[in-house]
Amino acid sequence: MLDGMSFFALASKRLDWLAARQKVISENVANANTPNFRAKEVSGFEAVLAGTQSGIATTNARHIASTGGDRSGTRVIEDANAFESSIDGNTVALEQQTVKASEVSESYRLATQLYRKGHELLTMSATGLR
Amino acid sequence: MDPLSSISAIAASGMRAQGERLKVVSENVANADSTGNTPGADPYRRKTLAFEELVDRALGASMVKVEQIGRDKTPFKLVHDPAHPAADDKGMVKMPNVNPILEMSNMREASRSYEANMNMFEAGRDMRSQMIDLLR
Repeated sequence: MLDGMSFFALASKRLDWLAARQKVISENVANANTPNFRAKEVSGFEAVLAGTQSGIATTNARHIASTGGDRSGTRVIEDANAFESSIDGNTVALEQQTVKASEVSESYRLATQLYRKGHELLTMSATGLR
Repeated sequence: MDPLSSISAIAASGMRAQGERLKVVSENVANADSTGNTPGADPYRRKTLAFEELVDRALGASMVKVEQIGRDKTPFKLVHDPAHPAADDKGMVKMPNVNPILEMSNMREASRSYEANMNMFEAGRDMRSQMIDLLR
């Protein structure tokens, strides 16, 4: 029932997307010293919102659209903003990833707080109590 | 598996790999003066280590592992010390090809990377506890 309400659906999509993003960042950090590892990033939240995206890209009309993939509908792509940082072909910059990780953590906190507020709102309208 | 649980597994693999690297560095530093003990014998040869991406299909996550521990092929330096048991007929002793500065910077990088993985672990744990807090 809660999932059907646009607010809660939005918040859980956001939480899913942020978790997937944090996972990709931790993969980047773990592989910060792996030769030839390219930094990765998930596709934007707009695409998740639009619901146009599944786990695998259909770049050709004859591709079969995937219904599975990631639950959150996020797609992992190569990070276009990563800068080449070392001569072994690794593009992960730890500083960049740290900034991103804290950004994601804060957004996650925001989304959970919103979720809580929505829940409080429901409680209030149902019981009249705070 | 959900992303929040795999974060800790990924960070743990990163920490394990960096720990392995630190182990190799400390072996190199400890053996920086380990010469042979018969005339002309080879001394300790510096160890190297390479990382590799490891895709865990069950987790759907790319982790990291130590691909191989190799040996540095750079030549040994020669030191004149005729009294040494490993001295050859010209009185030259082969010393290990360990460069302390290189090992030091390697050590620094390993501990920084370890710290970064630890931070990711904490960030993941923090996110999970926020999710659990929603139930209260």
